[in-house]
Amino acid sequence: MARFANAKAPYLRMTDNPSFGTGAIQRDFLIALLPVILFAFYKNGLQVYLDGNISFLEMFYPLVFILIGGLMSTLLEALFFVITDKSVRTMKTLGKKLSVSYAAIPGLLLAMILPLYTPVWVLIFGCIAATLVAKMLFGGFGYNIFNPALIGYVAVAFTLYGVIQNAGGALNASEVLADAVGGATPLGALIEGEGLSYNALVAPYGTLLDFFVGTIPGALAETSALAILISYVWLVARKVIKWFVPVIFVGTVFVLSWFIGMIAGAEGVWFPLYSILSGGLIFGAVFMATEPVTTPRNPLGKVVFALFLGVFTVLFRFVGDFAEGVATAIVFMNIFTMPIDNWTAIIRSELGGKEIFVKGAPKVKKPISKATIKGIILVALILLIALYGVLKAGGMFTASGWILPTVGRLF
Amino acid sequence: MILNKATGIRIDGKKHMSKTTPMHEYLNPRFVYLPLIQQNSPLKRTVEVGDTVKIGQTVALREGFGAMPIHASVSGKVTAIKKVWHASGRMVDALEIENDHQNALDDAIRPEPDPSLFTREELVNKMVNAGLSGLGGAGFPTYVKYLAKTPIDVVIINAVECEPYITCDYVMIEKYPEKLLKGLQYFMRAADAKRGVICFKNYNVGIIEALKPLLSHYPNITLFPVKDLYPAGWEKYLVQQVTGRSYPNLPVEAGAIVNNSGTAIVYADVVEHNIPLISRAITISGEGVKEPKNFLVPIGTPVKELIALCGGYADGLDPAKSYYIAGGPMTGRAIMIDELIVNDTLGSVIVKPMPAERNHPACLGCGRCADVCPVFLAPTEIQRAFEMNDKDAVRSLNASKCMQCGLCSYVCPSHIEISDFVFRAKELLRK
Repeated sequence: MARFANAKAPYLRMTDNPSFGTGAIQRDFLIALLPVILFAFYKNGLQVYLDGNISFLEMFYPLVFILIGGLMSTLLEALFFVITDKSVRTMKTLGKKLSVSYAAIPGLLLAMILPLYTPVWVLIFGCIAATLVAKMLFGGFGYNIFNPALIGYVAVAFTLYGVIQNAGGALNASEVLADAVGGATPLGALIEGEGLSYNALVAPYGTLLDFFVGTIPGALAETSALAILISYVWLVARKVIKWFVPVIFVGTVFVLSWFIGMIAGAEGVWFPLYSILSGGLIFGAVFMATEPVTTPRNPLGKVVFALFLGVFTVLFRFVGDFAEGVATAIVFMNIFTMPIDNWTAIIRSELGGKEIFVKGAPKVKKPISKATIKGIILVALILLIALYGVLKAGGMFTASGWILPTVGRLF
Repeated sequence: MILNKATGIRIDGKKHMSKTTPMHEYLNPRFVYLPLIQQNSPLKRTVEVGDTVKIGQTVALREGFGAMPIHASVSGKVTAIKKVWHASGRMVDALEIENDHQNALDDAIRPEPDPSLFTREELVNKMVNAGLSGLGGAGFPTYVKYLAKTPIDVVIINAVECEPYITCDYVMIEKYPEKLLKGLQYFMRAADAKRGVICFKNYNVGIIEALKPLLSHYPNITLFPVKDLYPAGWEKYLVQQVTGRSYPNLPVEAGAIVNNSGTAIVYADVVEHNIPLISRAITISGEGVKEPKNFLVPIGTPVKELIALCGGYADGLDPAKSYYIAGGPMTGRAIMIDELIVNDTLGSVIVKPMPAERNHPACLGCGRCADVCPVFLAPTEIQRAFEMNDKDAVRSLNASKCMQCGLCSYVCPSHIEISDFVFRAKELLRK
């Protein structure tokens, strides 16, 4: 007679394979950041050095800046564990804790979405907000409600905006010298009220192809749609993210921007393209809107979440006073992750297992289910916010006011 | 994908371990232990300790739902009532019968001169008298399905074996193709169904090879290969694929009856020779067994003897770090003491070493569990509702639809016992 181990079924797990697991997912996510980081190094380091505007050592500053972010958040998290967790006594237990906490990611991401010449103390301040406040105080990895990197970003961008601008802001040395743009990023130009014209919004920075490749002024690593697209393909292929989340998010912004352009008299497809290629939209859509911990778990929830992100991005970007539409929208929607997840889970479980009865079987008349009502509320909310955003923004940009200008001012 | 993709994922079947070795018939163990329980309902014993019984003699009765007799699987003397380990994970009372190796048959066992004359009622009665219950794992009394009032147009034979390691159905079909077709034919007559369909995994060409030459005599029976996915053998999927219809509770609601292939093979003997359900096929496999094999054994055989016939446990196997699983690795149950006996629902015993221990993080919310769920549930939401003890929330999330395939736990990258949470949430609803 032998005594065997007890455990719960199933006795086969994908984690039986040592190369599969949450750690592997996070590793794949880090690998996905590589093309974007490399492009940031090329645009803000290598190219500027080749132009002869910075020294050889200064060329590596973008990489150092990103590394400082990752390192700081790791250190802060280690510190947090040492202070608060009694089970952490030795380096070994600390290492064990950190190995399942993925501490570097918030800091890395934060550094990547800040302007290049953000003072390092501001970055550290952001890391504190990101790691300590947004992540560890909520219970650590898996329990945080808000995207840590974005909380760090919002904390820094809204309070220390002037400090960052004074220290040099987003423009690298070459862009400062070119001085075609008066110190603003493309989105900044829009907010400063340049109006919806191709010549004011796109022409100073080159063409839309420059927008796509990423050789335009902007935050350290979020300008290149091309590099992010490579990351996107990798992330989808490695099943780290769902392909439709960024597509729906960006697609919603594209369609709504098109409407706004039409209302405001910006003819053609350039305005929606400008709208999705400027700012941190694509970066946020691929790396932040798909962040598993802070977004809904079930696929229908992810769809609804992405739709909401699209309409709120448009609302915050075009109607609000700040250019941080994407960051605000994602942090704002993080609040609603839980209810959206719950509502869509109910809707999906009812729609998904739809039953087709045999011919002749008595039909059961069901009252309108809660799931249906919840679904209608969600769709109506998305449509209403989208309509409001489009009308309001369209009205704001309309000088002559050929369509509903008063509606825009009413609200 | 989001709402209605027929989900399922490919799992390494590991069928090769026991597929090629021939069926080992082990019909005369020294003792058999007939568990006095079926599907959680206790059986009423009709023999006393000291009585002599013959093969096929009624020794116990199942009462209430699914009432039917249970038969002795060997001839000999009832020597004791003993507690034995049962596939349900508990110790249950069992009738110990010492085999006298005479193989004396009960008078009821005799060949029928012309089975083609039986009416529907007689065919269903034979299921009752034979104590026929499903050999696929759930152990549902077969005849209950045939009492349904709904018109039935198709009888589906489930030979999919979508769980890894298990090969006993496959090997049985290879060995008794004629019996399978006959059994299905009788099932179709008992249900007055026009069609018979045999479902199996598409890579099991052996089943096609065994059945194809015989099919010309059975014009109403067709073969139906299904994809190599888990859980492709789920009743609901099979009915959906074969008939295009779905149902809320039982296949009869969609005009279909699903039977396991092993049940059909036994049923052929029931109709033609009046041999009740006294034996079944079982796979002993897994990395923890020296030579995995399939066996045909009397019900009540101790699994220990079968493992000994497989050459024992693999060298260097540490039981404390291994699973001893009654049933398949996905839906089975780990038994802690290796004193299991073969009951009517036990199709396999898998012994496999545990994977190396790892440090797993918290749920990262990737949503893979919701992605793979065949009934479109959101396991993480159900877990949350369960942890808050919120019955209404559990109900509104339709947790009762879960059929415990175990896929959510299988795919979880953080090794969370998520399917167990859903199971407990379902239990909460029952209270």
